[in-house]
Amino acid sequence: MKRKLFIIGGSLAGLGLIAGLIVYFFVFNKPHRNFAEATPDYDIKAAALFEEFRTNPELSSSKYNGKVLSVTGELNAVEQTDSLTIAVFGFEEGVFGSEGIRCTMIPELAGDVVKIAPGTVVSLKGLCAGYNDTDVILENCSLEK
Amino acid sequence: MKQRIALILLVLLCIGNVQAQKYITKNGHIRFFSGTPVEDIEADNRQVNCALDQQTGDFVFKVLMKSFQFEKALMQEHFNENYVESDKFPNATFNGKVKNINTIDFGKNGIYNAVIEGDLTIKGITKKVSEKGTFEVKEGKVTGKSTFNVLLADYGIKIPNTVASNISKSIRIDVDVNLEKLAK
Repeated sequence: MKRKLFIIGGSLAGLGLIAGLIVYFFVFNKPHRNFAEATPDYDIKAAALFEEFRTNPELSSSKYNGKVLSVTGELNAVEQTDSLTIAVFGFEEGVFGSEGIRCTMIPELAGDVVKIAPGTVVSLKGLCAGYNDTDVILENCSLEK
Repeated sequence: MKQRIALILLVLLCIGNVQAQKYITKNGHIRFFSGTPVEDIEADNRQVNCALDQQTGDFVFKVLMKSFQFEKALMQEHFNENYVESDKFPNATFNGKVKNINTIDFGKNGIYNAVIEGDLTIKGITKKVSEKGTFEVKEGKVTGKSTFNVLLADYGIKIPNTVASNISKSIRIDVDVNLEKLAK
């Protein structure tokens, strides 16, 4: 009887441990999504996306925020800071300078856009973080073509 | 009469030039840090819009909440969905002034102390704030820095009891913006 209780208790403890490890690794420490491998929810021209956000930010936010977008347009500039590379589709001038779509590149893939000349038509894929009243922000971006 | 008109035109021209002296960035950095005995949580946003008017001292920030990057994906989800409700309140803003803008010589390299006052809006709630910071002027560029604390309760951010020991009630905010003169 004691042996049976011991086996049941041990099994429950083992299952509890496994459940705990699963929760720890797949819930608490689940990795960030790999957006370079993600299939885009929308393929859209850069100018059209910016215009949608500019004219109707609330509707566009509910449609695009949190979605993976593939955005195609003429690259205006590639900005580099200490830790970020940002590809810019610019459309108009505002209080904070050029306004448009700012795509923060995945650091390991940033080299792909740095060598592209301004004026080149490119497609960038990334997660739409939203609109800050001047720019549409895409995070975790990668160059598609 | 002609002299007077010429003088007025000259003054208007000068005002126009001075008003154009804005410093801006779209790559400002804001980090927040929550430290408790259980765990430390920090997140970085490096896509912060900031503009400073050298003449008036107007100082403006716009922060897209979903651009805060966390080490752990789950923390980022909880931050956006449960705590700051980023879909409902996508931006945090600061609209204020550098009170002592006249003491900062933008033409001379140096580090200048600053007092910044204004309205900080997070999660749709606006509070008056007054904080200290510095501006470093170096070769025509201006770096603004400030560190201050924000009480979550002031902005209606509620932490569930289950994780109350993991998240500090007071969050440290570090601001670091490299401003460049707005090209005309």
